[in-house]
Order: sequence, then structure tokens, then C-alpha cells
Amino acid sequence: MQRRGRILCTATALVLLAAMSATARQDIEVLPEEARLVPEEAFGTRVLPAPTPHWIYVLDVAFDNLVASRVNIFDGDSGDFLGVLHSGYVPNVLPAPNRREVYVVETYWTHGTRGRREDLVTVFDARTLEPVAEIPLPQGRALIVSKQPVAQLSDDGRFLLSFNLSPATSVSVVDLEARAYVGEIEAPGCSLVYPTGARSFSMLCPDGSLADVRFDASGTAEVVDNDPFFDAENDPVFEHAARDAAGRTWYFVSYDGRIHEVGYDARGRTAPRESWSVLTEADAAEGWRPGGWQLVARHPGNGHLYLLMHKGPKWSHKWPGEEIWVLDPEANRRVARIPLEEPAVSLAITGDDSPLLVTLTDTGVLSVLDPGTGERRRRIEGAGVTPFLLDSFAP
Amino acid sequence: MREPSLLDRLVERVTRRVAQKSSRRGFLARLGATVVGGVMLPLLPVDRSGRLRRAHAQAFAEQAQTRDDTACNYWRYCAMDGYLCTCCNGGVAECPPGSEPSPTSWVGSCINPDDGQVYLIAYRDCCGKGVCGRCPCLSTEGEMPVYRPQLSNDIDWCFGAKSMVYHCTTAGLVGRA
Repeated sequence: MQRRGRILCTATALVLLAAMSATARQDIEVLPEEARLVPEEAFGTRVLPAPTPHWIYVLDVAFDNLVASRVNIFDGDSGDFLGVLHSGYVPNVLPAPNRREVYVVETYWTHGTRGRREDLVTVFDARTLEPVAEIPLPQGRALIVSKQPVAQLSDDGRFLLSFNLSPATSVSVVDLEARAYVGEIEAPGCSLVYPTGARSFSMLCPDGSLADVRFDASGTAEVVDNDPFFDAENDPVFEHAARDAAGRTWYFVSYDGRIHEVGYDARGRTAPRESWSVLTEADAAEGWRPGGWQLVARHPGNGHLYLLMHKGPKWSHKWPGEEIWVLDPEANRRVARIPLEEPAVSLAITGDDSPLLVTLTDTGVLSVLDPGTGERRRRIEGAGVTPFLLDSFAP
Repeated sequence: MREPSLLDRLVERVTRRVAQKSSRRGFLARLGATVVGGVMLPLLPVDRSGRLRRAHAQAFAEQAQTRDDTACNYWRYCAMDGYLCTCCNGGVAECPPGSEPSPTSWVGSCINPDDGQVYLIAYRDCCGKGVCGRCPCLSTEGEMPVYRPQLSNDIDWCFGAKSMVYHCTTAGLVGRA
């Protein structure tokens, strides 16, 4: 046994040395035998079971040490901590539709905070949490405190679309199947990515309009401008928006509490439908307004929108939500209010048939609520030091 | 209404040009092509239209002070987002040792409570070192989403510096708005 152990160790060391030829030597042979004893019991590395739609990926951007962010993974049903993905500077986290992989779009410097900058998409195995592929992004990526529309997947999950801000604006297209960067789509002046199909997405422009983009597998794209649908000077929409993919609708929320509904067709051409205020006159008089970070989500069953609301003055758009307002976008009215025991900066609703409503405080408290009753089922501390975003797998 | 300054007029002209759909693409494409020394310099139009309304800056100014630039309510920090360089052995317009001032910035218009005047402030990140981590401040007076980058404070504004690694943020005085 001991001899076999030694051969194994030597072989491992050789493989390690070959793989990392430029790294420090590991002469474990000089250690005494006791340091390399092989326990009698089975000893290995745990592998996660198949992910469920109730697994919550909490992105902690680590604001006081941005080069070393992390993604803490929790089971929303049990509250258990499942594992961690370590990530780079202001990353984006995208659980794959196939539920086998998690994509992290991230930036590193070769010497930590110094050295050559590298931008890449890292493909993690969702069960082993090991990186299985790295796809370089030669055009870099936008370095923005992580927001979901900075990187998105095409509806079929084949392409990753990563926003660039150099500060000229464009979108990098990555073929996840081929594990290769395909090209860059120029969209001067317009920002972020709102998917509208397998080969289309839209971008928000400074004048309050959307630019509609259609692209093919070679990265060739057609960009069409539209007229403004909101007042970008006086009442801009938040970056985070909610989507009804089956109903081909995006719901954008404005600083002053208007919902702007934008429909799109099979070719990804958008058209504004209607806009309405979530505030009654009495609500407005009380100073209610939307705010936070990832502030809106759509219930996949009944289509209701869940929106973080607080009382505050104009320009308090980043204040955490004291309540969640449940809104019916068919009837254009509020159907419920959920007061929060702890004000939340972000919320999410899982995509399955019996979804969880999840909220996050800026101190890293994750809460799991019943989206129907608003009752808090679970409170999980230590979700992150400065966590911002919540992601989960589609069912 | 006060008489618009030369800067105001310039800014408004640029803003109008950008706002015009027909010229937006061409204009920004030309900007995008401005490459100096291999580094793409951002020349996004300074758009202050939302910030110049006194009512907006007023809420911050009401609790602002002009003596302590290491406090979040120092008058120039009305649109600050980040760690104060003044707490990191830098100045209100000076980078701490070992970091490099970014040549680019986002902007805000803040009221100086001493004279009641509106001043244009350039929030310039110091870059090339890891996060300082002292005196985090978040003010969002007139702050816009990232699709209006010049007014957004969530963006790493180290464009044009040797490194995009963010250290802390300064608040340089540009002049009377």
C-alpha cells in the first residue's frame, strides 16, 4: 500500500509539475512518510447532486477586494451551503439552460492587482464546481459593478453575449458549444443585453430607445434603431428588468415607478406596448418608489411582478426595499404588499412550478419567502460580505 | 433663470447632437475611433442636463458641509460612489501613493453650501492598485443607469489609465456650472 501510495503521489506530482511548469516545485518526497499516510477509510472529493431550480447562486462582488469575488451556492429548500465558485473582477454568473454548467464572465490580472489583464468566460461543471473550459474574450468586457444585463445567454443557451464598454460600446459573442469567441457586434452608444430570442437581443440607448440586434452563428449582425419609449432625462429605467419569454415581453421599471412594457416579435423587433405607474396618488404622496439593485422579478406561474419598494426622496434609487409590491401587469395594478423584516437590495423568483421568492440584504442575509403569502420560510446568514446578485437554474 | 455659461452651451450642443438619432451612430463611432497611444480615450459627451436642476442637488446640499473632505457628506461628493481617496492618504484631487489618476471621469453638479452656487465636479478614479477599502460612500444625486455612462457611478472609470484596477475616487472641481 505504502509503495503504491508513493508511486501515486510521485505520479501526481509529475503531472502537476508538467501542467504548471512555471510554478513552484513541489518536492513532497522530502516529507516524512507520516505526512503522506493514506487513511483506511474512503477519502475523496464530494460531488454535488444534479442541481435543482431552487439552488441559489449568490454573487458576492467583494467590494473591498474586487479582484477576488465569489459565488456562494445555497439550496433554497434546505438552506444548506452547497459550495463556492471563486471568480474575478466584477463578474457575471450565468447558470446554463442545460443545468450542467455555470458560466462565469470575469476579469483577472496575472499578478492579482497587477500584470496583464485577462478577460474570459469560465465554464464550471455544476456538480464538481471545477472549471472545465476557459474561453478568452479578446475585446475585454465592461467593468461595471455586476449587473445581470451586462452578460446574458441567447435563448437556446448556445451563445453568450457579453457587453463591452471601452468606453465605446459593443457586444462580444461567444459560441459556448464550440467554446470559442465568435466576434464583436458594434452598437455605438447603446448598452447592455436584453435577449429576445435564440439569435436576437436588444440594447438600451441613451435617448431612451432600444436598439434591436439580430445575429447569426458567424457573429454577423443587423442592428435596427427604434424611437424612445421612456424619458431618459427625467425618469430613466433601471438596468435590471423582468422578462416573460413565452409572452415575448420585457418589463422595464423607471426610477419614478412606471412599468414600461415592451413586446417583441419572433425576429426580435421590439415595440413598446404600454406604460403605467405602480403608484397611486396616495402612494406617491407617501414617498414610495422602486429601488435597490436586482429589484424586479416575474412569477413564472401567474405572471405577477415582484418589485422592491422603499420610501425616499428622488435619487434614492439605490436604497434597499422595505417592501415587495406584487403587481399584476395584466390589470396594471398592485395585488399585494409584502413587508420585509430586513430591507433587501435584490430579489429573485425561481423559474419552476412551485417557485421560491428570494431576497438579499447588503449585509449578506438571504431570505427564502413564499411568493404567494409572503411568509419567510428561511433566513440564511453569511451569504456574502457585499453580495449583489441572485441567479438560479431555469427548470 | 441664470445666463447659460459657455460650458453649458458647449455641453448642450454636444448633448443635442448625441440625442439626434441620425447623428448618434456616426458621432459615437468617430469618438470610438479616437485612439491615442494605443489607448482608446473616452470622449463621451458630458451630459449634465439632469443634474443642473437645483432641486436635485438640493437634497444632498441640505446636509452637506465644506470642512471635512473625509466624510461622505462633504459637498463635492453629491454623486460619489466608491472609497474616498482622502481617507487613503490621497487628496480630494490627488491620488494616494502608488496609484495613478484616471484621465477620465464621471460628472456631477453639486451645490457648495457656503456660497449656494452649483459647481461641476469630475469624479476621477485612482487606478492601478487594489481597492483602498476606507471610507466607502454612495451618493446618487442625479445618478443615471449605465446606458448613460457619463452620469453613472457603477462603472470602473479607469479608462485611459495604465490599469483598470480600481483603488479609490477623487472629486475634482471643474468650475462653476
